[in-house]
Amino acid sequence: MKYMIMTFGSAEAGLETMGKEWMLEMIQFMRKLDDDLRKSGELVSAEGLADGSQAKTVRFQNGIPVPTDGPYAESKESLVGYWIVDVESEERALEIASRIVAFVKVPIEVRRVMDAPPEF
Amino acid sequence: MEPPDIEDLLRELAPQVLGALVRRHGQFDACEDAVQEALLSAARQWPDGGVPDHPQSWLLTVASRRLVDEWRSEGARRRREETAATLDAPALGLVTERDDTLTLLFLCCHPSLSAPSQLALTLRAIGGLTTAEIAKAFLVPEATMAQRISRAKESIRNAGMRFELPPESERPDRLRVVMQVLYLVFNEGYLASAGPTLSRADLTTEAIRLTRMLQLLVPAEGEVAGLLALMLLTDARRAARTTADGSIVPLDEQRRDLWNATQISEGVALLTRTLGTVPVGPYQLQAAIAAVHDEAPSAAETDWRQILALYEVLERVSPGPVVTLNRAVAVAMVHGPRAGLAVVGTLDDDDRMAHNHRLEAVRGHLLELAGELTAARNSYQRAARMTASLPEQRYLALRAARLAD
Repeated sequence: MKYMIMTFGSAEAGLETMGKEWMLEMIQFMRKLDDDLRKSGELVSAEGLADGSQAKTVRFQNGIPVPTDGPYAESKESLVGYWIVDVESEERALEIASRIVAFVKVPIEVRRVMDAPPEF
Repeated sequence: MEPPDIEDLLRELAPQVLGALVRRHGQFDACEDAVQEALLSAARQWPDGGVPDHPQSWLLTVASRRLVDEWRSEGARRRREETAATLDAPALGLVTERDDTLTLLFLCCHPSLSAPSQLALTLRAIGGLTTAEIAKAFLVPEATMAQRISRAKESIRNAGMRFELPPESERPDRLRVVMQVLYLVFNEGYLASAGPTLSRADLTTEAIRLTRMLQLLVPAEGEVAGLLALMLLTDARRAARTTADGSIVPLDEQRRDLWNATQISEGVALLTRTLGTVPVGPYQLQAAIAAVHDEAPSAAETDWRQILALYEVLERVSPGPVVTLNRAVAVAMVHGPRAGLAVVGTLDDDDRMAHNHRLEAVRGHLLELAGELTAARNSYQRAARMTASLPEQRYLALRAARLAD
């Protein structure tokens, strides 16, 4: 079963307020994590997204789609990156997420990808 | 021979050649790689150059040579095995061959491997599928699947698993795992929503092919026959189960003329031969239920009393909330929706069903039959939110929307 593991944040919380040591450790941690998931044969894909401040949202205004600046959600936090893993169980997906949370110390959302066979 | 026939032949020979090679050299992982390469060579050469007179010996010879090449490149420490590997291929006895394939199945479905690894390894080592084909079927990158397979082989090597049949005392449990893996492969084939539909259906076909092979290896095992019958009787409805756009068609609305009559009669015949001659098990019972559905000329003529009786036996043999839920539907069809809803209600406090959308889907269906449309709509909507299957979510959301009109 596939799960999407999503991290949220903003530039202020990450790139700008943390020190060099933390940044280096972070880069190393992410490399190691991706490497481990690749080696275990569980990694489907992993991407980091450009900062939310660079996002555009296309809105439906006065009957037409209109691109506007900024992410969809009003909060400062937006999606900064995700992993899609193909794992044996939800427990395993949560274990991977926990490993990330233990390091980054911010919440991580774990969501099942719609890949179950129908039971009808 | 036409290329498709060559492919069938290669896939049939794959486990036999691998079994022979592992028997001679040990080292399941290295042998498995060598056999894959031999299969690839054959797939390239045979369509133009013709199939050799003794295709099995050809593959065995090529695979042995690959193995020697591999060892040679690894250096002199392998010299002893190398000598052994260059010996002529011994004639293979039929019994040995059968046992080898069975041993391989037990090895690939070893309980210490994770389910995704068991599936991948079985499809490659026994099914003769390439890593790329398996990756495509499971919608993961080829590199991921390659890694999963090599990890699985590494686990087998590290655990020092031996190439021999498990002791008699462990056989029933180990066979259960093998059946589970084959059933999972079959179920994976159902998924037609995401990605290339064709390759998913191929998994269903492959599961049936492998289960057929297993059934020939252990003809006295009633549950293996039951599993094969269940697959045949379920897959027989494949063409009617979804519309061209991938939407689900529920059983009672399916066009029965689209059902595969040949597969149904094969499944029924297999089941008839099996039932009563061996201890009855869950696969046989589920197959028997599928057979009752398949043999009904129309949904209205379905023998629900017999289905209910079978579910009652199934619940005794292998109790569980999912079986109870299925029995609830049968109860509703025999004794009315209220009686069915009462059975559904017994599962409300069952933790195992807390995140299962089927409880709400069935409740919605029975409430609809009882004429409680608002409550039915709520149940369908709850079920739609809980399912992880996209076609099912659409189906449930549509059922809910239909009741709003």
